[in-house]
Amino acid sequence: MNQTDPISLLLVDDEPDLREPLAEYLTGQGFRVTEAESAAKARSQINQQRPDLLLLDIMMPGEDGLSLCRHLIENNGPPVILLTARGEATDRIVGLEMGADDYVTKPFEPRELVARIRSVLRRAANGAPSSEQNDRFYQFEGWVLDPLKRKLTDPDGVTVPISTAEFRLLLAFLDHPRAVLDRDRLLDMVQGRSAHLFDRAVDNQVSRLRRKIELDSHDPQFILTVRGGGYRFAANVSRVDPAGDE
Amino acid sequence: MMQRIARFIIPRSLLGQVMLVLAPGLLVGQAISGVLLYRANLERHQERLVNAIAIRLIEGRERGAGFQGRPPLRAMHGERDANYRLGGPLRFRIRMQQLDRSPEQAGDVRMTEMESGLANLLEEEGVEAGEIVVLQRLAGDDPLVAEYPRLQARFRDLDWSKRPIMVAAIRNTDGKWQVARMPLAREPSGVGRSIVFQTLVIFLVLTALLYPVLRRITRPLAQLKQRVEDFAEAPDKAVPIEERGPDDIRRLIAAHNAMETRIAALLDEKDVMLGAIGHDLKTPLAALRVRIESVGDEAQRTRMAQSIEDITNTLDDILNLARVGRASDPLERTDLAALTAAVVEEFEDMGDPVELGDTQRLVAPVHATWLRRALRNLISNALRYGEKARVTVAQDGDDAVILIDDNGPGIPVDQIAAMMEPFQRGDASRNRGTGGAGLGLTLARAIAEQHGGRLVLSNRAEGGLRAEIRLPH
Repeated sequence: MNQTDPISLLLVDDEPDLREPLAEYLTGQGFRVTEAESAAKARSQINQQRPDLLLLDIMMPGEDGLSLCRHLIENNGPPVILLTARGEATDRIVGLEMGADDYVTKPFEPRELVARIRSVLRRAANGAPSSEQNDRFYQFEGWVLDPLKRKLTDPDGVTVPISTAEFRLLLAFLDHPRAVLDRDRLLDMVQGRSAHLFDRAVDNQVSRLRRKIELDSHDPQFILTVRGGGYRFAANVSRVDPAGDE
Repeated sequence: MMQRIARFIIPRSLLGQVMLVLAPGLLVGQAISGVLLYRANLERHQERLVNAIAIRLIEGRERGAGFQGRPPLRAMHGERDANYRLGGPLRFRIRMQQLDRSPEQAGDVRMTEMESGLANLLEEEGVEAGEIVVLQRLAGDDPLVAEYPRLQARFRDLDWSKRPIMVAAIRNTDGKWQVARMPLAREPSGVGRSIVFQTLVIFLVLTALLYPVLRRITRPLAQLKQRVEDFAEAPDKAVPIEERGPDDIRRLIAAHNAMETRIAALLDEKDVMLGAIGHDLKTPLAALRVRIESVGDEAQRTRMAQSIEDITNTLDDILNLARVGRASDPLERTDLAALTAAVVEEFEDMGDPVELGDTQRLVAPVHATWLRRALRNLISNALRYGEKARVTVAQDGDDAVILIDDNGPGIPVDQIAAMMEPFQRGDASRNRGTGGAGLGLTLARAIAEQHGGRLVLSNRAEGGLRAEIRLPH
């Protein structure tokens, strides 16, 4: 991914009204964009052009986006960001379970879409966890985090809702248990979604997260402050298959 | 209170109620037949007495005054030249006595029924009787019994003097009175107790017979009731239940199954339609949102983006309102404080003046996505009309309460109820530009009710409006 080789996107949507201006906008942002109006056309273009990423509408006549998405994941295709008109939480989960890398609800802010495209590509380039690994649960001291549904449950099985920022922060900690993570590193790992979520200091997010998972947020047992700036997750973390749980 | 007692005493199931009606019904029926039976017994008893005493009187008269029984055991008073004999071992008989006058004395009770019975009988037998007297008196009052201890001994109980005897007399043509005595057997007793016992037996037998029959009705009914409840809770798809029981019940179940299928189909159609509406409107909105990026004027572009966002929010509210009750996420025991904090943080991150006040860890089963939506609407509302919002979570009795307070002007008390109806907005002259179709409160209320709770709006004493979501937990 260097400057001379622009990122190629394949935009799959049956609505020319949206497809055309969006392609134009993304081109303006420095991407190389090709368009497809159906899943069938998209399949042949993927084979010919090998795009870096797919922007895929879910509701299309003929084969729908979810089906194409599943096909791509099974065949080690490029990363997928789903575009959908429905904002239901379950739709997002279905999409992510299908193996999509991200999910954007129409109407979206074009800038946010660009941020997400870059984030997905960065994660893919870093050898981010494959989808297979993605759906394994994290466990620490009786707590369970379902990374797909972003669902955190306490040792009593009670769901503890967390915001997107808190989820990403917790994920960063759980991926690096017992390691000292300084603020820059945390910001780096957590950022990538909507940048504005992280305009606030990491410290603020940490204190919010502590309020939710620590028994006494003034005397934390999980997320410890390290002198010299940084945090360390102090519990053992294991990963388990979701099967059998729930 | 009375209702609670009644609920405790009166069985609510069909079987229980049938039994409850059956028991007193049976008792009344039994009591009536018992009384009739008792009456018939009494009549027969009297008839026997009349027969017995008539035989004695007739026998005595035929043998005449000169009849000699065994001589008296003791010397007798001159007047009492009666012939008498002591009867069988178990029952004493005082045979005949002839008197010059009627044996009636003070304290006697005339047994008029017996008198007429005796008169009829004697007439049938062709015995002439000038006058007939039948009296009841206590053995202790009878001069003859009083004089003969052996007669007393026949009573075989201590208080012989309290036992009733019957004294019957007829006046012969010669003016003499022919007198016969008989002990009065106790009237049949224990009738009441035996009726209760019989009723109990019949009741138990009936219960045993009725139980399987009623079970055949109540079991499919219970199953149907359960299904209706389940369907009301989550009308996701039709699950036909087996048609069984008597014909009426079968038809009811069949009708229910048909209705459920129809409702489920309608709801499915509605979902498909809403999805299509959402899709068809949001795609052009998305196109518009992309196109305005090319507008050079930053202020213009921001305003356009805001308009698109308002339209999108209204559209979401409409679609969500239509979907309430068809929640696609399951009920999950959720930490309400953490959920509220997560929503407040969204606003904080956008730079909105929302403050999270005291919270308490409260766990309740909720559809988290929906409850978040309700809170978001209430907080947006507070910000729109009250500039600042303060959110707290507390427990009040059995309810978990999420309070959203603002510093706005509040709502006139008479308009509070109307505010929760669709498309109502506070004073339209204020904040017209901030959008919102007025579905926010309607949706919040629908979501609270979907959780078995409610939404309460009130004006705070300190000024400003308070919205409370009360949830059972």
